[in-house]
Formats: sequence, C-alpha cells, structure tokens
Amino acid sequence: MKPSTVNILLADDDTDDCVFFKEATDGLQLSIKLTVTHNGEQLMQWLTNETSKLPDVLFLDLNMPRKNGFECLTEIKLNKKLQALPVVIFSTSLEQEVVNQLYHNGAQYFIRKPSDFLQFKKIIQHTIVLIAGKNSIQPARENFVITV
Amino acid sequence: MATTTSNENELIIAHKELAFLKEEKGKRAAELGIANKELIFQNEEKEKRAAELEIANKELVFQNEEKEKRAAELEIANKELIFQNKEKEKRAAELIIANNELAFQNNEKEKRAAELEIANKELTFQNEEKEKRAAELGIANTELAFQNEEKEKRAAELIIANKELLAFTYVSSHDLQEPLRKIQTFVTIILEKEAENLSENGKYNFQRMQLAAGRMQQLIDDLLAFSRINTTELKFEKTDLNIIIEEVKAELKETIQEKQALVESIDICAANIIPFQFRQLMYNLISNALKFSRPGRQPHIIITSHIVKGNNVNNEKLSPGKNYCHVCVTDNGIGFEPHFSDRIFGVFQKLHSKDVYAGTGIGLAIVKKIVENHNGIITATGELNKGAQFDIYIPAN
Repeated sequence: MKPSTVNILLADDDTDDCVFFKEATDGLQLSIKLTVTHNGEQLMQWLTNETSKLPDVLFLDLNMPRKNGFECLTEIKLNKKLQALPVVIFSTSLEQEVVNQLYHNGAQYFIRKPSDFLQFKKIIQHTIVLIAGKNSIQPARENFVITV
Repeated sequence: MATTTSNENELIIAHKELAFLKEEKGKRAAELGIANKELIFQNEEKEKRAAELEIANKELVFQNEEKEKRAAELEIANKELIFQNKEKEKRAAELIIANNELAFQNNEKEKRAAELEIANKELTFQNEEKEKRAAELGIANTELAFQNEEKEKRAAELIIANKELLAFTYVSSHDLQEPLRKIQTFVTIILEKEAENLSENGKYNFQRMQLAAGRMQQLIDDLLAFSRINTTELKFEKTDLNIIIEEVKAELKETIQEKQALVESIDICAANIIPFQFRQLMYNLISNALKFSRPGRQPHIIITSHIVKGNNVNNEKLSPGKNYCHVCVTDNGIGFEPHFSDRIFGVFQKLHSKDVYAGTGIGLAIVKKIVENHNGIITATGELNKGAQFDIYIPAN
C-alpha cells in the first residue's frame, strides 16, 4: 500500500525543537508535509484561515508565548470546524494532573519529548501510524500517553 | 312648952320648905318650858334631819341598785375577763412553747450563721487566692497568647517560605529539563549523524556526556517527583492495598522477571490512603528491594499489612489508643548497617556509589514524605547482607 502524504502541523515556539522535529520527520520512510507555527496565536490564525485545508494531525507544544497549548486545545475542541482535528500534545514534562486535564479536554495523544533523537524519530513515526489508523477517535486513558 | 315650939318650928320649916319647893317647882317648870321648847326645836330639827335622811336613803337605795347593776355587769365582765385571761394564758403557754422553739431555732441559726461566717471567710480567702491565681493565669495567658501569635506568625512565614521553596524547586526542576533534553538530543544527533567524523576518543567523550546528562535528567525527575509529593492535594480514600500492590507488581513486571524475584503479599487489608501517593510509596519500596537484592540469591520480598493498636507497637510517636494500619515490606537483599537506619530517608542520601547501584537517593525520601502526608511513621531496620525491613504505621479509621 502506497502511503499518501501526511500533512502535519507543528506548533512550537522553540527553534531547536522545530529543528529536531523536522530532522526526525525527514528521516522517516513516510511522505510528510510539515507546516510550522511558532505560537498559539499564529496557530489559531492558520487553522481558522478559510483557505487552509485542515492538516491530518497537529503536534502541539504546551508552553508557548501569547497563547499556550492548553488554550489552543480548548479553542480547537470548541470550534465545530476544527474539533475533528487530532491534537497530539508534545511536551517536555509529564505530570499526571496535566495529562488528565489534557485527556479531559479532548487531546488525542500525549508525547513527552524524548531526549534521545532515535526515540524522537520512533515516537513520531509511531504516532503518525496511530493517527492514520484510528483517525480522530480518542483512545482509552491508559493508551493516551505514547511511549516507545 | 319645948314640943309646941318644935312643931311650930317644924311647920315653919316645913312651910318654908314648901315655899322653897314651890319656888323650886316654878323654877323647874320654867326650866322645863325652856327644855320643852328646846325639845320641840330639837324635834323639829330631828324631823328635818329624818326627811333629809329619807331623801338620802332613797338616794342611797337608788345608788345601791345602780351599784348592784354595775356589780352584775362587772360580774359578767369579770367572767369574760377570766375567760379571756384563760385564753390568754393558753395563748401565752403556746407562745412560750413557740418562743422556746424559736429560741432553739434561733440558736441553731446562730450556730449555722457562725459556721457560715467561718465558711464565708474561708470562701473569701479562697476567692482571693483564686483571684490572685486568675490574675497570674491572666498574665501567663497573655504571655502564651503572645507567644502563640508569634508562633503562628512564624508558622505562617514558614508555610509561605516552604511553598516558595517548593514552587522554586518545582519550577527550576521543570525548566531545567528543557535545555538538558536538548543537550541530550543534540548529542544523540551528533552520535547518529556525525559518528564517522569523530575520533574514538571524541565518541567516548560524547557517550560520557550523554551519561552525565542522563543522570542529571534522573536527578531532575526525582526532584520533581519529590516536590510534587508536597503539592498534590491530599485526598484520602479507603483503598484495598492489594490493588495497589498488584499495580506496582505489574509496573515492575520486567525487573521481577529478570531477577526471578518472588514477591509475596500476605494478609493485606484496606487502608485510608492517598492512592496515587501510596502507589508511589509501594513502588519505591518494592523497586528498592529488587534493586538492592543480593547477587546469587533469589530476591524474596514479603509484604504484609494488618491493623494494630498504638500501644502494641514500641514507638512513642504513635498514640496508644489509636488503631494503625501496619504495612511491612521485608526483603532478603544486601540490607544495610543498622546505624544508617535514619540516614537512608534523607534527600540525596545514598549508601552506595552510583557506579554500583544507580539512583539519586531520593526514593526513600519520597517514601518518608508520603508516610508523613498520611500522618504516619516509617522505620527501617537492616543488617548488612541479611536484608532490610520497612515498617509503616498509618492511622486506620
């Protein structure tokens, strides 16, 4: 089966993390189109822009200036046009309470940014595969946090 | 001739005598007329007097009658008085009795009054003493209130300082993660992509850098976990400890298999715990027991729990009358020297070099903190190469 191009939207204000993400997705055996926004406001503008087609998945950093990932997630899930967009939270730290809140707010998956680049690649690939397979159905809570 | 003169003499004498008598009779008749007159007068006088007497007599009769009436009245009055007198005497007798009684009662009352007076004096004295004492207590109380206020202020300051410290620990550890993670990622990218451009020494140094960064990550993670124990809301739930133990065993499944360890739980009861924290506690204790197992011997971990009364446990920190849930984790690992039994609960306290046993020395500090959050106590007993035992007592209610 020939994989079609996966449209990925990344929202992360950190330049290094954007570089890691790009390098990681470049190295995958998948056809990927990556779009990057650098803060929450930019992200929401991009998503609500009539002309832009919705991506297949959004990788959303939590700690961003101007509008953080939490606010963006809530706005997306309250917006009828956007609520079907699978949102994968991409964060440095993993705290159970925060994770619970995100799951409750409708995020699709949670990824703790790995410190090992190989892991980084693996986890992104794994997530893309999961999204492609199940689309936007929220998994059970115990499968919410993706680990590899 | 002598006898005829004698008779004539006698006749003269007798005549003379008669004349004399006649004269005497006239005199006497005059005198009698006077006396008669006198008698008539006296008679008249007497009749007057008799009339007067009659009048006086009538008067007297009347007076007498009056007096008799009065006497009769007086007799009645007298009888009445006698009766009244008797009544009064009776009354007087009664009054005497009553008076005696009153006198007795009065005496009694006086005695009582005297006693009361003494008692009153005693009470007055005691009252004064009490007032003095009250005044002293008032002063002492004021002093205590002041000290209390100071302590409360100090406690409030400490709470704030503590919160600030925890917030600082949390934020700093949280923010430290990001640059560290990047260092690690860059190292792995270089090792993956630039490996052929590096000398063996360069590669080795990068690997050491990776290890050091990994260790720092572990430290930050543990520090975060430690500070999180303080910040999490303390929500107690009656929980079956079996569930917690099974969850921990599932989480440690790989290590248990790898070490072929035997983890037994016996007589496990339910306890009033903060489930999330207690799971962390059991995880830390069981993973410690696995980590510090003795090479060449099958690790054997026994977990027991039951309810005990405070006075059946030899520890003054427990209330004798209270019930406690006693959770005990025993292993047959490398143990520790008994004098380290307190030190091992300190933050970053390790008994072994990290090259021998990995770890940051926070695990048992977290365990202790969790036990304290449960208002309980934990003790450790150990013997080198014989094993370790951890006893936890948390209030059961």
